[in-house]
Amino acid sequence: MSFLDSLAAGLSLVGNIESFLALFMGVAIGVIGGAIPGMSATMAVALTLPFTFAMQPITGILLLLGVYKGGIFGGSIPAILIKTPGTPASSATILDGYPMAEKGEAGRALGMALWASCTADVISNLSLILFAGWLASFALSFGPPEFFTLILFSLTIIAGVSGESLLRGALSALLGLLLATIGLDLVYGTNRFTFGDPNMMGGLNFIAVLIGLFAIPEILAMVWHPTAHVGTARSLGKNWVSFADYRRSFKSIVRGSFIGVFLGSIPGIGAAPSAFLSYSEARRTSKNKETFGKGEVEGVAASEAGNNGVAGATLIPLLALGVPGDVITAIIIGAFMIHGLQPGPMMFILNVDIIYGLFIGLIVSSVFLFLIGTVAIRGFKYVADIPKRILIPAVLVLCIYGVFAVNNNIFDVGVMFVMGWVGFMMVRYHIPAAPFLIAFILGPLLEDNFRQSMLMSGSDPSILVRGPITWFFWAMTLLTIIAIVRAGVRAVKGTPALTPKVKD
Amino acid sequence: MTQRQVQLRLGVGALLVAVFLAVYAIPAWVSSPSNVGNVILSPLFWPYALAGFTGLAGLGLVFSGLRHEDTDTPVNAPSENPNAAWLRLAGMAVIMGLTMTALPRLGMVLTSMLIFVATAFLVRTRHPVTAVVCAVIIPLVLYAFFAHVAGVAIPQGNILRLP
Repeated sequence: MSFLDSLAAGLSLVGNIESFLALFMGVAIGVIGGAIPGMSATMAVALTLPFTFAMQPITGILLLLGVYKGGIFGGSIPAILIKTPGTPASSATILDGYPMAEKGEAGRALGMALWASCTADVISNLSLILFAGWLASFALSFGPPEFFTLILFSLTIIAGVSGESLLRGALSALLGLLLATIGLDLVYGTNRFTFGDPNMMGGLNFIAVLIGLFAIPEILAMVWHPTAHVGTARSLGKNWVSFADYRRSFKSIVRGSFIGVFLGSIPGIGAAPSAFLSYSEARRTSKNKETFGKGEVEGVAASEAGNNGVAGATLIPLLALGVPGDVITAIIIGAFMIHGLQPGPMMFILNVDIIYGLFIGLIVSSVFLFLIGTVAIRGFKYVADIPKRILIPAVLVLCIYGVFAVNNNIFDVGVMFVMGWVGFMMVRYHIPAAPFLIAFILGPLLEDNFRQSMLMSGSDPSILVRGPITWFFWAMTLLTIIAIVRAGVRAVKGTPALTPKVKD
Repeated sequence: MTQRQVQLRLGVGALLVAVFLAVYAIPAWVSSPSNVGNVILSPLFWPYALAGFTGLAGLGLVFSGLRHEDTDTPVNAPSENPNAAWLRLAGMAVIMGLTMTALPRLGMVLTSMLIFVATAFLVRTRHPVTAVVCAVIIPLVLYAFFAHVAGVAIPQGNILRLP
């Protein structure tokens, strides 16, 4: 199928009011979800997922992608107005955004955040379109040993960079892999940790585990500390962002976007490190270094470009290799699976219309983000006024309905509650949840590819180093471990205690 | 809880999990056909391998915890009133337990209404009237969507039966 044929197929799939409405609604939900302190883009995507069950695959996935895109930008609104990042990705935006708000320039900071976000979003989407197909065509030559080493590398990097220590990340990933062994054995069909319960034979429900890990701990944290997330919003002020501001910050925006694209395409790194790296690079190269941290509009632009540049790029490993790069793409892979689709190189052959439909939707989402973001900046006061102690019970009820709806099974609700407590303990013990979830998703694939390799070779492990691709992934895995261990040793020598992350 | 304590507790916990898996859980709860010739292809291999790696991670955590310089800095900021916080958490656990019991009996809509109110009061809402109104409306709206748009068979219970 030629490029134009693929494009036409994609257009015929999304060229209807339903798809664009879903995308528009998704961006709006994401901006609102991201703007509510205590919620996050991840939680917004997780809670929206059950509503996609009844939709066409492309419509449901566009809705979730809209929530993702909107959520990343939405997080910058409370970061600037109340010094509380709506999502972790917006932490760097506080550095200059809040000082600007204190000076009465919140409107200018938010305007720049929006313009930088939309620019980065376009660059990230174009990178996705450019690289995903190329990577997928390369991955078509992968066999089970190559996929095994690829997944192992992805899990290593996710475990290493998601939290404060490689060991805790590794423990989290191992627990996720162990949880994934529940159910019938992939080859022999024998029981593994099912306790004779038919509910356990198909393994634990992915949606129950994910909502349990990412939404219920927020509810428990609110129960633990009900007055958290209370802040006073600053006024927008009279100044608004000008084209001269945008032009002055353009270099930092483009640089930040490419930093986001690069870091986003590597599984596990995520938006927050990208935003901080983009910010520090902008400060290092700026003529106004001394004003950074005191309310410099270029600092807001760089941070927002850094975190939004990641949004499209995280879909590169997801669509091309079937490997989710972060938690949100792990949720989105769940949406694919629910609709009977398996992201990966074969999708570029079997479901090319969906791939191109998604590309078209992503390009349009940048326009929607600009429109909705402009309105959201002015309407934040109403979002900030939603009482959190009403919102939290509403989230709990929504979780119960959503998880039940997957299989019409009350057992899944119980799994969600148990995983909620597991997630809460993980937060208290500073164990990152992302490696757990991603390992839970990739666990069956990892085991399946390992056992297929062994079947192919008659149990000769040398098949796992059979060619340049496997050598490359083994080398990358080793390099990742060495780099993370060295960084960890240096950090321990430099700072004896880690910065507190969670408030009791 | 200091950084050192976190590392040590996690390490010891991981070691215990690994030993429990290897000694009891895997032999008791993972079944394997007797005719599997090669141990690598057995359904037992992967769980044993993971248990082994969990043990190694536990050893690493204990080792790094012992090497970690101990400071008084807690990893989590102290709570204003820890006793009340623990009581609220226990209350939430009870609400979740009751939810599982009530769902098949009262149905999802009525159970959701009750847990909405209970959770709102547990977190000491300053808007009790709004909480009660939302407790009625939100489960009904969700029922309407999931039952009539998504086609999910929402449990109805014996007391309240909705169209």
